Amino acid sequence: MCKVIYNNKYNLYNLGPGHPFDPVRVEMVLDLFKELGISIDITTPGPATVEEISEIHDSEYVKAIEAISAGKYSDDPEKYGLGTADNPIVKGMAEGARYQCGGTLSGAKLILRDKTKKVLQLGGGFHHAHKNFASGFCIYNDLALAINEFTKAGLHVAYIDIDVHHGDGVQEIFYSDDKVMTISLHESGEYLFPGTGWMHELGKGTGRSLKVNVPLEPFTEGESYLEVIDGIVEPALKWFKPDIMILQAGADAHFSDPLADLNLTTYDFEKIFRKMINLANNNCNGKMLITLGGGYSINATPRIWTLLYSTLINKEIHGKLPQNWILKWEKKLNKKLPGFLHDVLPAFDKIPRKNEIENHNRDTVRRLNDLVSPHWL
Amino acid sequence: MVISDVMHSDPVTISPGTKLKDAYKLMQEKNIRHLPVLKNEKLIGIVTDRDLRLATSKLAQKPFDPEETVENIMSHPVSTTHPSDPVEIATQLMRELKIGCLPVLEESKLVGIVTNADLLDALLLLTGVHQPTGRLDVRLPDRSGELARLAKLLADKKVNIHSILTYPEKDKKVRLVLRLGTMEIRNIAEAICNSGFEVIWPPHIACVK
Repeated sequence: MCKVIYNNKYNLYNLGPGHPFDPVRVEMVLDLFKELGISIDITTPGPATVEEISEIHDSEYVKAIEAISAGKYSDDPEKYGLGTADNPIVKGMAEGARYQCGGTLSGAKLILRDKTKKVLQLGGGFHHAHKNFASGFCIYNDLALAINEFTKAGLHVAYIDIDVHHGDGVQEIFYSDDKVMTISLHESGEYLFPGTGWMHELGKGTGRSLKVNVPLEPFTEGESYLEVIDGIVEPALKWFKPDIMILQAGADAHFSDPLADLNLTTYDFEKIFRKMINLANNNCNGKMLITLGGGYSINATPRIWTLLYSTLINKEIHGKLPQNWILKWEKKLNKKLPGFLHDVLPAFDKIPRKNEIENHNRDTVRRLNDLVSPHWL
Repeated sequence: MVISDVMHSDPVTISPGTKLKDAYKLMQEKNIRHLPVLKNEKLIGIVTDRDLRLATSKLAQKPFDPEETVENIMSHPVSTTHPSDPVEIATQLMRELKIGCLPVLEESKLVGIVTNADLLDALLLLTGVHQPTGRLDVRLPDRSGELARLAKLLADKKVNIHSILTYPEKDKKVRLVLRLGTMEIRNIAEAICNSGFEVIWPPHIACVK
């Protein structure tokens, strides 16, 4: 079974009107399940403590963030990456971030105590947060906290990141850790934030070859994406034999995402989720902790995360979205919403460079295999 | 960026009387390819690993014996650079002469050495990603005030410019690749486009013309 974690205090992490990281995305998912009559057993954990956060982040940084969030900081917040367009200063954001971290952390604990094999945390996924600076909408790295919880118990963790942006914070924090494999599939850093996530970023010391990066071409479509999972993620897990998979399930690789350029549809996401679940079942004793992440298309992201949960509980949702739900949220958002759970195909115009893009991604998988194969013996 | 930023100080040196076999051994030990030759603290020549290999090769018309001294095979006079020279000037000189290194002289004294590997490192520093950033690629008219206009736009949006790389294009245009501290490149690009700049990346920016 799959346990779901959520706390409405997550909403304290609200970066202001107009900021793409909008809590409404998760509210829409929860509301949709209600309308669909799918009951969810939700666990509501408290916030992570400052001490817990400080297991990953520099304590000086945590102190500064807490002070900035409380409006009691006089130094320059920009040295910690705050007060910028991406990471504005909002009162209470540190508390909100700690609630989000508390959720992911408690998910890890549920799995560690054998209460469940699968956890879906309806929040978290702050993969850009670094040890000592905020970046890309993230201040505290909930994923790193969860990974740390598992490795402290002696477990090996495979962290898989399907957010369209490179999971730079998580990678850097565990760059030389031999208990943690990180695999990030993302739009190439040549084109997209944060600019890293190149193939040659393979980890250091005993962590070498455990950090895997697949930079994908802009406008990559589902078929090619799924091929990459088969070509890299599957052999990686077979070799590493992790005890648990953590999946950062950002939804921003969707074709309609306003911040990035990959071209996945909801059908592709469903296939990806199914593949990941199978990989966890076959390679990680079925143990899987899933967080949300990016996903800035209000019209697609709630549908993708709904598909994530329905795939997890193996419940097919047919066709049309409930009229009540559509009307309610169209009114709230003042925006037209699609009538169907899945995208209507064809979702976008034919990409003229499709062949070239697929070949380029195939080359990437081949080159990456050549880089890691001497290690993956 | 100047030579003193990228050069190696305290280079390993040899004297004109150093035997070829000893120079070779020194290169192996220190994992280097170039040895400046000093006589009374003055730079009088330079020997590269290639010089050594060619001079002693069995394929040479008259191979040198490993016991002979470097004096006989070293290159001289030596082209050099100065700590305060711009790296691009040193690069030009190395490309023009097709050589892989320049000893650095200050007041006729050898103070460092700069190799093509150091210049590649400099290139990495100029073009690389050192902070989490997104990429904005813009084409500007090559005239005064354009960059200031662009920078002002970014400053107004509280977006930090981590780095700017520019290169010339034809028709009096300049390409500008900026690394910006934001995930929301599209919004920015739209605003920039609306202010009359030509945005190359991100693509398909819908701007009001």
